[in-house]
Amino acid sequence: MATSSASEKTATPASRTVKSGKASDDSLRFLPWLFLAPALAIYSVVVAYPMVYSAYLSLFRWDGVSPTKVFVGLENYGILLTQNDVFWIALKNNAIWLVAALLLPTSIGLGLAILLNSKFRGSHIFRSVFYFPSVLSLAVVGLIWTWIYHPDLGLLNQVLNAMGLKALTRNWLSDPNIALYPVIIAATWNAVGLPMLLYLAGLQTIPEELHEAAKVEGAGPVQRFIYITFPLLRETTLVVLAITAINALKAYDIIYAMTNGGPANRTQLLSTWMYFLTYNYNQVGLGTAIAVVLFSLTLIFAIPYIRFMTRKT
Amino acid sequence: MSQSLSQNASVPGKSKVALFYVVLILATLFWLAPVITLILTALKDAGDFAVNGAFSLPKSIRWANFSEAWETGVKNYFWNSVIVTSCKVPIGIVLESMAAFALTHMHFKWADRVFTYILIGLIVPMQMTLVPLTLLMNALNLIDTLTGLTILYIGFGVPFGVLVMRGFFRTLPVAIIEAARIDGCSWFRLFYRIALPLALPAVVSLCILDGVATWNEFILAQIFLRSDELRTLPLGLVQFSTQFSTQYDQLAAAVLISVVPIVLVFLFFQRYFVAGMGGAVK
Repeated sequence: MATSSASEKTATPASRTVKSGKASDDSLRFLPWLFLAPALAIYSVVVAYPMVYSAYLSLFRWDGVSPTKVFVGLENYGILLTQNDVFWIALKNNAIWLVAALLLPTSIGLGLAILLNSKFRGSHIFRSVFYFPSVLSLAVVGLIWTWIYHPDLGLLNQVLNAMGLKALTRNWLSDPNIALYPVIIAATWNAVGLPMLLYLAGLQTIPEELHEAAKVEGAGPVQRFIYITFPLLRETTLVVLAITAINALKAYDIIYAMTNGGPANRTQLLSTWMYFLTYNYNQVGLGTAIAVVLFSLTLIFAIPYIRFMTRKT
Repeated sequence: MSQSLSQNASVPGKSKVALFYVVLILATLFWLAPVITLILTALKDAGDFAVNGAFSLPKSIRWANFSEAWETGVKNYFWNSVIVTSCKVPIGIVLESMAAFALTHMHFKWADRVFTYILIGLIVPMQMTLVPLTLLMNALNLIDTLTGLTILYIGFGVPFGVLVMRGFFRTLPVAIIEAARIDGCSWFRLFYRIALPLALPAVVSLCILDGVATWNEFILAQIFLRSDELRTLPLGLVQFSTQFSTQYDQLAAAVLISVVPIVLVFLFFQRYFVAGMGGAVK
């Protein structure tokens, strides 16, 4: 096959742009870097460089202490996939957590936003009430809900008993089959505020006239939601879904405070299992490999989000 | 006042409005039940709690829970959190707003690329940085110091801060900047004297969001603080709960103490939460 003809088409004339020689521009070119330098320097040292170095470390077998690291290529990833059962439990838990996070806080947040968007006496107080759990630290949220789930003294079992539903009471956080779900409920309580806030902001941008016009045409509230509100909230929904997904994959504190990964590692997430492997079992190679897996999962949601945030306007 | 409550009638029936409020108030009680439980637990003594459970009014109010919790270590945790937060937030905001200003108003060819590079930090799970940071902090002798932790917080705060400040600076009219430049104002003066004062609402928003986030941070504190007397509140409380797992009254009081500053900030500066988050999405 003759490909030589292609090479005949010569390269474009040297595309070096001519640099403008104004002296005053030189200082201007350098000045933005001066403004950026402090932030960029600390960010690069504390965040960017460690990310790259973590990925590099995931290719070694290392205990974190000894002076020699053994290069093993992708072996750590192979070990995780084939020999590390807890990795699969954690991955599955992350998937469950992610699905719950994409469904629950988002829809509850949207519902509350629609309910509280209209101005009525006290609407601001109710907004604050439902946003409030979002300002608490996840460690504190975890501690509070641990009491709610306490087998004897906790509110949940007491309420169930009072309602005559003793059969439903259980030791919520110690039952390996269900322990993850109470934690997800607690996390949801904390996570509802942000979608609500973003949806409230989004609803403000929808002109009232659209609803009035649709009402005149005889559209009911459900129809108005389907044909006006929801389509116009499309951009907000994309941001909400991306942020909730990214935050869901970061979940760590609340597990640590409520179950510490137990019982029997059944509530481990990739984030907590990374901690256990690295800091309790000195498996730095495996730990950093999990971090890379977790980061890759995050990227699925983060790349569209970053594209959106850096879009030209 | 409530014309939008009813869909059919132009004047909503009184009973409909009443029903609306009853539903909302029930939802509020349900939503705040964990917090109410927390407050009730913090006010009663352990015996009362063991007999009557969490969700009952205390037989007698026991303020001593708070002083005991405070003296058992919460005092230290509290002041550590205050120190770290009050160092991190102002330093961070200066760095972040300078960077955001350069990215929006200084005709900077690399602005988009640098911004994307910074945004990556917003999505990265902390776990991706922990091991190299441990090595780094070890080498610099900064493990188990509040200084080291503060430096890490400043670094991790850069992406969100730049995002919020950039969102604001983009709304700043170019004409103002150009007018000042034509008048011979240097970029530094322009930043400190014009851009930053104009950005005050955004700065306040960021202060609050960032302050709350720093106050609540857990994982970095957990990894890089080792000794008990240096722990910050979230970390100290979790530790407290494992050590005194049966003293629910004191633990609840401790948690409540840690939450009070956040509640105050939240009550007084609520609207800035909305403004700040709005700036982050624009």
